[in-house]
Formats: sequence, structure tokens, C-alpha cells
Amino acid sequence: MKTPWLTLPALALSGLAMLLVTIPCSAQTTAKQKIAVVISTLNNPWFVVLGETAKARAIELGYDATIFDSQNDTAKEAAHFENVIAGGYKAILFNPTDANGSVASVQKAKTAGIPVFCIDREINSTNAATAQMLSDNYSGCVALGQHFVKVVGKEGKYAELLGIVGDNNTWNRSKGFHSVVDRFPGLKMVAQQSADFDRAKGLEVMESILQKHPDLNAVFCGNDAMAMGAYQALVSAGRADKVKVFGFDGADDVVKLIAEKKIAATGMQFPKTMARNAAEFADEYLKGKRDFQQKIPVKVELVTPENVSKYGDYGKKN
Amino acid sequence: MRWTGWLLAIAVVAGLCWCFPLFHVVPLDRAAKEKQAAVFDPASFATRFWNDKLLKSLDSAVPADELIALIQADATAAKQKFSRSVGVSESYTYFLRGQGRVVKASDDEISLAITPGTTNAEVVLQAGLLFGNAVRDGTGLLSVNDYPNSQDFNAISESLNRVIEERVQPRLRELGTVGAILSFVGCAEVNDESADLKPLKVVPVLAETPR
Repeated sequence: MKTPWLTLPALALSGLAMLLVTIPCSAQTTAKQKIAVVISTLNNPWFVVLGETAKARAIELGYDATIFDSQNDTAKEAAHFENVIAGGYKAILFNPTDANGSVASVQKAKTAGIPVFCIDREINSTNAATAQMLSDNYSGCVALGQHFVKVVGKEGKYAELLGIVGDNNTWNRSKGFHSVVDRFPGLKMVAQQSADFDRAKGLEVMESILQKHPDLNAVFCGNDAMAMGAYQALVSAGRADKVKVFGFDGADDVVKLIAEKKIAATGMQFPKTMARNAAEFADEYLKGKRDFQQKIPVKVELVTPENVSKYGDYGKKN
Repeated sequence: MRWTGWLLAIAVVAGLCWCFPLFHVVPLDRAAKEKQAAVFDPASFATRFWNDKLLKSLDSAVPADELIALIQADATAAKQKFSRSVGVSESYTYFLRGQGRVVKASDDEISLAITPGTTNAEVVLQAGLLFGNAVRDGTGLLSVNDYPNSQDFNAISESLNRVIEERVQPRLRELGTVGAILSFVGCAEVNDESADLKPLKVVPVLAETPR
């Protein structure tokens, strides 16, 4: 007869062994690493495309990904970073709200061992983020400025709608544009005002400018959302065929109006390229790569009625 | 006794503040100078870069006749062998040097035939207002990663273009008469291969009569 006190421990031991094997296996099959996508604002379709593309690529690569909306607020952005660091995220794909103000958050993530990949906008530090994939806004607006002179002529009155003043991109675009246009003394800037990259503010600011300067010839807007707002204001004032509108981003609605020759030009950024590359960098980092170039400029291409058929869906058509 | 303890504590605190001051008083003019020194000065940078690095690198430019021959035969091979590109872009730059005969001249452009026997413009030296990053990016001597704020990197392009307008273009316009032979060194930016390769539009960093 078998003694029960020999059988029972054997049963207990084998049960324990089975438990030890199955728990890690089931943990491996269900737990994915998490990537955070922190975007400056989701109130602008361009940034929605940036965030959604980054998230989708991260998911394709086998991660869980979550988008955090900073609502153009550096304090909210900092709070997101605190939550991301505490929440066990392994990488951050980051579209900063402020080139200086966002540095501290990136440093905190770095200290916590979490790599940060900036997308579209830079931070003013070369040793905080792991890499920065940046739109070459200045060069894009040099090309836009040259086209502006070609279309508007070497004499005329124009207005400029600036983006968010704390964003380096605002000044890269403005300076690129002015590096060309200011060489033509016959072109006079009669108004320059920030509309915060926002369509509704663009409309409001343009309405106000038109009241003071009814003989305006052109308006350069630091992004397409403001260009759409400015265009709306011009349509309401019955001046849309008299004032040339120039934007920047390559948003679908503006590209469509360029094809209809209602807006003069924009600069096509490539949000999908930047977002996908950033997600791929994060994947490479998590698989061991460490030698990333700090800043990777992504060229902006001029879109005009002459070449608009090549562009659409926030990029170049195949 | 109690007062002695207090006096000792005050003396210790005072001593610590002396050794590790909580703040420094700095004269206003010295503070202004320090702040000024920390601000990037693109014009000064461009001048120093021009004198100390760019003019010493001219021999590293690819011979124009070799480049043009390869572009004619195989533009893709020419791009792979001789071009530079910054970041993610379909655009690229060449740094080239050569000699040619002036076949056409205007206020904005001096066109050269490089290949012996041809009368076609193969290189067009830019003699008017300059824009873009051809020289900043074409030589490979400057890197975007050296500038925490990209506005500083961008300002270099503008300043270099101004140096060329002041130091190179006047001599170019003086020498650029039809039939003259010119030596040059410069950078070409290719954004659209259908328009920018034949002829190459070159921003000159040197223009002179051959020695």
C-alpha cells in the first residue's frame, strides 16, 4: 500500500512547478511594452495626424500606445510626463509645447531611463532627448518666400499671422520668410500678429487686419489652420480673389484650395514620415540601439497650383 | 551662557554664508556683457567660418568636369558618389570646383560651359540675391547637431549668403563677360532633378581668372 504522506508532497510539488511555469508564460503573452505619444494639441487636424500616425506605427511594431493631449499648456504637458514616468511607459514620442519650457520634462524622463523622441518641434537642448525628428521650417519658408515674391510681385502690402510665440517653429518660419521678402523694399508688412496656430484666432485676427488695411495684397500665415481662418475672413469680406493667402503645413483642406487656385501656396511638412520614423526609433532603442543622430531635419516641400497634383493626405502621393 | 550659545550659532551661520554666499552682486555692465557673449552672433560666426574653415577646404571640392560627365552618364551614380544630404530629404548638394568659358551673362547669372567643345551652359553661377542652404550644407563642414537652437543654424545660411554677396559676387560680375574664362568653386543645391541638374545652379564661394 502506498503511503499517502509520500504521494501528497509529490502532488504539491508538481502543482507548484506547473504554477511557476504557467505564470511567466501567460505574463509574456499578454504584457506589451507601452509607448506614450505626447502631442502639443489635438485641436488642430495636423497634430491629430501626427499623433495618430505615431500611435498606429507603435502598435504595428508590437507596443501598446496612448496619446496624451497637452492642450498647448506646458504645465499639462509636465503632468503628462509625471504620469508617463510613474505609469511604466518605456518610451515617449514627444511633440513639445515650448522649446525651452519642455526641456525639464524631457530631462526627468531621461533621468528615469525613458528615451524621448521629439517629433516636428525641437527642444533647446542637445543632450536631453534621444533624438529629434524636426521639420526644416526655415528652409521651407525660404522657398515659400521666394514663391511669394514671384506671385505677389516686388511691391505690395502684406500681413503676417504668427504661430505660438514660445515655439521655435514660429520663428523659424517667420525668419525664413523674412530672409527673402525683406530683401525687397517694395514689399511692406503692414501688420504682424500672433493667432497661436489656431483657425478661429486666425479668422478673428484677419478680420481685424482687414478693417485697418483694406488694400492688403497678401497674407502669410505661419500654419494652414490660420491660413484657413484668414481665407474665411477674406471670403466673408468679399476679398478672397484680391488677397493672396500663403500657409504652411500641407493640410488637406489647404492643398484642396491650392488645387482650386483659391490659396496660393503652402509648405508640405511630412507629419506621417516624422511620426513613423519616431516610433521606429523608439522600437530600435528598446531593442538595444543607442547611436542616434540628435537632430534629423525633415525637408519641407513647396506646394503650388503647378505641382499640387503630387501632394495629398499629408504627404506626397505615390 | 544662553547668549553665548546664540552668538556662536550666529557666528557659524555668518561664516557659512561667507564661504557659500547665497547670492552674488554683479555690476550691471558686466552682467550685460556676459549675456551678450552667450547670444549667438551669426554674422561673426559666418566671417570666422569663411576665413578659418571654408577657404581652406576648397581643394576638397569635386572637379566640375568629372561631376558633370557623371551626371550626364548616370545622375544616380553621381548623387551616390559626390552629393551630401542633410536629414530626411530628396534634396542634396554638391561642392564643386572648375573652370569654364562664359557663354551667357546677366545681372543675376553667369553661365559657363565646362566641357571642352560645348557651347551649352553646364554651370550657372548665381550673381544675384542669394537664398537657401547650398553653402552651409554643401561643404559638409557644419552639422545641425552642434546647435541646440536650430534658429542659430538657420541664421548661418543667411549670414554666409551675405558674405558671398559682399565678397564674391562683385568680382564675379566684373569677370563674367561672354567669352571670358573663369575659375570657380561653389555649392549647388538640387531640389528638383528635372530643373536643377542641367545646368547646375552654383552659389560661388570663389570666382577668379585662372592662374
